[in-house]
Amino acid sequence: MLSLVNLSKRFGDIVALERASFDVPAGRIVGFLGPNGAGKTTAMRCIFDLVHPDTGEVLWGDAPVGPAERLRFGYMPEERGLYPKMKVGDQLTYFARLSGKSRQEAREDAAEWLTQLGLIDRTDSKLEELSHGNQQRVQLAAALVHNPELAVLDEPFSGLDPIGMESMAQTLRDLAGRGVGIVFSSHQLDTVEDLCQDVVIIDRGRIVLTGELARLRASARVRHLVIEVDELPWSPDGDDVTVVSTLTGDRRLLVEPDVDLDALLVAARAAGTVTRFSFEPPRLSDLFREAIQ
Amino acid sequence: MKRAAVQTWEIAQRDLVQRAKSKAFLATSLLVAGMILVLGPLIASELDDPPPYRIGVVGTTDEEFTAYLEVAAASFDREAVIERFDDLSAAEQDLEFGDLNVIVVDGSEVIWLEEESTQLNSIVVVALQSIERRDVAAELGLTPDEAQSLLAPPTPGSRTLREPDPETEPRRIGAFIGSILLYMSILMFGQFVMMGVVEEKSSRVVEVLLSRVRPTQILVGKVIGIGLLGLAQLALLGAVVWFTLTQFNLADISLADIGRDVIVQVVFWYLVGYTFFAVIYAALGATISRQEDMQSVALIPVALLLPGYFIALLSLEDPNAMLSRVASMLPPTSPLVMPMRLAVGGVAAWEVAVALVLLAAASYGLIRLGGRVYTGAVLKLGPKVRLRDAWRAAAQ
Repeated sequence: MLSLVNLSKRFGDIVALERASFDVPAGRIVGFLGPNGAGKTTAMRCIFDLVHPDTGEVLWGDAPVGPAERLRFGYMPEERGLYPKMKVGDQLTYFARLSGKSRQEAREDAAEWLTQLGLIDRTDSKLEELSHGNQQRVQLAAALVHNPELAVLDEPFSGLDPIGMESMAQTLRDLAGRGVGIVFSSHQLDTVEDLCQDVVIIDRGRIVLTGELARLRASARVRHLVIEVDELPWSPDGDDVTVVSTLTGDRRLLVEPDVDLDALLVAARAAGTVTRFSFEPPRLSDLFREAIQ
Repeated sequence: MKRAAVQTWEIAQRDLVQRAKSKAFLATSLLVAGMILVLGPLIASELDDPPPYRIGVVGTTDEEFTAYLEVAAASFDREAVIERFDDLSAAEQDLEFGDLNVIVVDGSEVIWLEEESTQLNSIVVVALQSIERRDVAAELGLTPDEAQSLLAPPTPGSRTLREPDPETEPRRIGAFIGSILLYMSILMFGQFVMMGVVEEKSSRVVEVLLSRVRPTQILVGKVIGIGLLGLAQLALLGAVVWFTLTQFNLADISLADIGRDVIVQVVFWYLVGYTFFAVIYAALGATISRQEDMQSVALIPVALLLPGYFIALLSLEDPNAMLSRVASMLPPTSPLVMPMRLAVGGVAAWEVAVALVLLAAASYGLIRLGGRVYTGAVLKLGPKVRLRDAWRAAAQ
């Protein structure tokens, strides 16, 4: 298990991290979420000693993380980058070698990852000859080629199309299934909520919410109610109801858990024909909004 | 420790192999090798015995003129080949095409192409005077021997303090070519180091690397890898030079031996000089993020190299002038000046020792300094990083 303990970091007057702590247990997918500039990248860079925290420490198990431990981690930085003119296979072999694999192992690991990502026939292509999507895949492979016990992925979903996002999500699920601890960051909270088992929500350097997603949702103060009425406009009354989304024909309402659903349904029916009335758990963005209040 | 060494060597190998495949490296290697093969014979032929003077003779000439010309030429250590023409225009045509050096018409007129050669003119004049002297002596009723003794100039005895070293001139030329090779190699492979650093920074791959290795490992690995590539190129060019020189057989000197000496000097001083400059190139490269900014930053190490190059050229003329002696012992000029002084000869062993100790100390300091600048600057993207900021960032 990886533990970040009380990490603080200032850059001049800017507070990047303030006593930030969280864990990444083996086999869990941890979503590290928050708006841009919240401190996600700084925290991840601290894991690899690319940034030295002013205070606090990073532990692997019970011991501080050093160069030897880091070789058991995989890192995909937010700023994507590989060697454009180097062959894909050579490139992955090189990174596996730098992670301490023997020449033979490194070559096998590279081939295995390229097979898994469907790029084995591009082994001898230069990186720059690949499509954007395939370059992203190679980038992921570069982080994971040495089969690390922990994967640290900074914004892995940014710049991916829906198919790319789904295949990335599937890769992460497979990894977690093999016992790899995964922490990935995202500033688009709602697009990744199906993937996270645990979430760590950060805002302006402080961890504002952390825990198992299902439990956080269950204990949330609010619920989502989606009501579709064929007539517009319609607006419910009441102190315990907030309209959060006003798409045509779709009222997404934030309601207190103990709201009188019957009364709302009656009110909606009075406005027109109700085509949808569903009660949903809160979204991550709702949890975030609630946490920073 | 072992792990760090293996990683660093892996980095060195990648830089060596990838750079060896680059067009810039392949093109310069072929170009320089080609130049040596073409220019080598030309330079070597300059060292060979000069070609005979070709003298065209037109019109009525004394039968003994040819003999007198040969004697006169011999007194200048030259040979003369005489060609007789019936027709002046045919002779002029040959002069025009460079087949003749001079034309003598009727023993009274001398024709040059553009300007007269002092030496050849003397030879012709002496030959003509000899004929005239012979005729005057005959008129006066003197025998040739009497005339000879009457007109013989005084001949003072002469001696030299030491034998001339026939190798001096070839060594000087070898050292000159060596200084070009040395300057070129340090500059080119230093710039390759800088290009490598900037490429890794601009492509952002450096952060992927730094999750696995320390910044100094990247710096040292790159300097070693590209340095070895430079060594391989020098070895290749050295072999071409040596091969070219073995094709010439000069009477009393072995060009191949001289070439080998110069190549050994160049290779050794390349290693020490390159290390010094490559670290400067790497540290400066880390302060920029874009290839476009390389031009201006790359001028700094060139400004440090150029004085050494010019003093090296001056040293070929006078290897023991004060400027050359001092510059050959102090960095950053020593890696370029010392090998040239050594190639020409007459350098005391202590001078070489001082040069090496100072350069090693300076290189060590520079690796510490450059390593820190590299560490502080390599993860800073965006505009040019100021050296002071890089220095401070590394401390954090």
